[in-house]
Amino acid sequence: MTPILSRWLPGACVWLHAEHRQKALYLLILLLPLPAAIYCIGLGRYAIPTEDVVRALLDFALGRHDASAGPDIVYNLVTRVRLPRIAAAMFIGANLAVTGATFQGIFRNPLVDSNILGVTSGAGFGAALMLLLVGDPLEVQLAAFFVGLVAVLLAYSVSRLYHSAPLLVLTLVGILVGSFFSSLTSLLKYVADPLDTLPAITYWLMGGLTDVTLGDIPALAAISLLGMVVLWGVRWRLNVLSMGDNEALALGLNPTRLKLLIIVCSTLMTAMAVSVGGVIGWVGLVIPHAARTLVGPDHQRLIPATMALGAVFLLLIDTMSRTLLPAEVPLGVFTGVVGVPLLLVILRVNRTGWR
Amino acid sequence: MVKRTWFYGLLVVLLVGAAAPGVVPAQAQAADGPVVLALESAREPVEAWAAAFASMEGGAALDLRFVATASEIMARAGEAAVIISDTYEETPPIAFECGYISDVFMLLPGLGARYLASNSCSGVLDPRDALARDFLRFAISPAGQQLAIDLGLLPAVVEIVDQSGATVRVPQPVWRIASPYSIATYYVYGVGAADRLVAAGYLGARDPEGKAGMLKLDPNFETIANAVSTLNQQEANIEELAALHPDLILASARTSWLDAAAALGVSILRFEGESPEALQDAMTLLGAVLGPHAAYQAEQFNAYYSRTLDAILAQTQTIAEPVRVYFSGTNPLRVASGDMYQTAMVEAAGAISVTADLTGYWNDVNLEQVAVWDPDVILFVPYGGANVEAFTGAAEWSAIRAVYEGRVYRLPKLSAPWDTPVPDSILGIIWIAQTLYPDQMSLDCAAETMTFYRLFYGYVMSEGEAQSICK
Repeated sequence: MTPILSRWLPGACVWLHAEHRQKALYLLILLLPLPAAIYCIGLGRYAIPTEDVVRALLDFALGRHDASAGPDIVYNLVTRVRLPRIAAAMFIGANLAVTGATFQGIFRNPLVDSNILGVTSGAGFGAALMLLLVGDPLEVQLAAFFVGLVAVLLAYSVSRLYHSAPLLVLTLVGILVGSFFSSLTSLLKYVADPLDTLPAITYWLMGGLTDVTLGDIPALAAISLLGMVVLWGVRWRLNVLSMGDNEALALGLNPTRLKLLIIVCSTLMTAMAVSVGGVIGWVGLVIPHAARTLVGPDHQRLIPATMALGAVFLLLIDTMSRTLLPAEVPLGVFTGVVGVPLLLVILRVNRTGWR
Repeated sequence: MVKRTWFYGLLVVLLVGAAAPGVVPAQAQAADGPVVLALESAREPVEAWAAAFASMEGGAALDLRFVATASEIMARAGEAAVIISDTYEETPPIAFECGYISDVFMLLPGLGARYLASNSCSGVLDPRDALARDFLRFAISPAGQQLAIDLGLLPAVVEIVDQSGATVRVPQPVWRIASPYSIATYYVYGVGAADRLVAAGYLGARDPEGKAGMLKLDPNFETIANAVSTLNQQEANIEELAALHPDLILASARTSWLDAAAALGVSILRFEGESPEALQDAMTLLGAVLGPHAAYQAEQFNAYYSRTLDAILAQTQTIAEPVRVYFSGTNPLRVASGDMYQTAMVEAAGAISVTADLTGYWNDVNLEQVAVWDPDVILFVPYGGANVEAFTGAAEWSAIRAVYEGRVYRLPKLSAPWDTPVPDSILGIIWIAQTLYPDQMSLDCAAETMTFYRLFYGYVMSEGEAQSICK
């Protein structure tokens, strides 16, 4: 493992032993989300001086905002627009990235992410169905979440019917279930009213955090934190799983039960992310590879680093999306445009990890 | 006894014999049929229409009277149920106790007609007046057009350049129209040719409110809307469409399946009517292929449209600080770009659209950008679940000027939403102008709405209904 930074910055790090350099870099990555969030909350289309941002945040944190004083644009923007969006971007980014890393581990395949079992297609179908039938944002979100879970449950139980090469079958069935739900979504788009429900479905599927409000954050935060704690807890076992089932059994682990736990956990996190932010691609693929380049393939460090980098990546992308132009660039588009070239560079630089 | 019978018989023969020389010409003439008073120069087509009308089911023989000059028609209009003249713009100087004089039916270029519903006192059209109306409807129908074509008075083929720049040959008359372009469907109503629609999409008529409105305009529209299982911009069931034998398809530049439709050998018109000027061109274009009456209606619509825009412009020109409007779509943060019809409407109403610099279709923005714009007024579309609570009930919107000043409004609609480029959108412009500038604007939305739907949809709306739409 020759982490890239130690090659780039030999002079700066020369006083550190290679192992210490690794550790410093790892700690730096873990701490990165905090300054990134602080930096991004000061940015926006509406210019707000730093001291006003700080005051609004303090008012919010201490609950001393006086609502009777009339509409306060600065307070509203900082606490009701920027804060929820930054929180949502970071949670969703962390979720998508870390579930991508765990799926790559348990499927022993660098090309999968948490969508491989159809959660995103399922969620998309659930959302489209609700947009067509009722259009209420809360119900759309709930439907996305639960149909996403149903899709994965379907893929998992169908794959149990086959008795050969479980991982391969699971991958295949997952792809099939995903395609099935995508077809159902197309069917809904086909019958949707071109004037109202069709654009709503299309925009939803493109993904974006424009509509995130403070009310979306508690559920997102709860599921995300819970999932992260679990994945953090099993991170060394992922190393064992990624060696194969026989090795895991030999080391005294029950690979089937462990995988189920990880899949349930990752699916909950992904479904939550999709139900809030729509379909945001590439994070689950690009970030784990980037993290692997920086801290190596050991899941002990890879899992925390992926969370931190995923949070920072989506935060930066979303900040660009909300500040660059008067009209927002759909997030799913931006992650692809930025993520794909990034992945190509990483794959060129990092020839280790996947052999 | 026998002598007496013989005497009465002779009397009858004598009387009939004496009356017989007065019957000129013998066919299609009935002393008690509705009187049609027409210019002598129009004798040929009028007699042809009358003969055909007399022989059709629900038709009747008419009492045709021809005079030499238009002024004589005006002078003698009191004796007629139908007047046909080249001075059709004038209304005859007759005062009815009740009843009314109809709008113009354009029979041939330069030859217009009206019926005089003089007997309709009960509020229901008298059967005699209904006959007069039906005769004129027949004369402007494809069958009536066909008679005029046979006489060489109308062209057998119209060749025209559509809005995509293609030259289209449309054999005349057009009997059966299919309109996958759900905006053009309303053009057809606007030019008074809705009875020729055999299959069509209806913009905005899927939601309950739009459907209820459309049922008022055309109680049978659902038959037309469901005639072909799939008929829209993206797709069409070509075989079902072919089975309806349309001879004209109304499409837009975005209709994607027209190569398949071209195989049917049907004339296809492509519209691109999504600006005030282009909407008027689209109406003219459609009018040109659907006969003289449709052409006249298109002209009337365009005149009404430009007259209204001029009136609004005259009243908003002097306003020093135009209102700044934020036009929102199916989601509060989805806004109309500067390329869209909605922005043109806002500008025509004498206001500034804060989103005019955006391009393309609907754009997603974020609330910070809205705060930068800080609009005076928010308008939102009447479809797709857009509602005022999304603005007034959301804390994050509370510091936006339009929200805390209580100026958030939903665009009205009857069937098609007034913010889309259908003919009704002129009412949308009037409504926006009146809503933004209640003190400066002399146009009255409710009154204009009643006039508009009577003229261009043939729907007589109560004042109460017009008020509730415009509120």
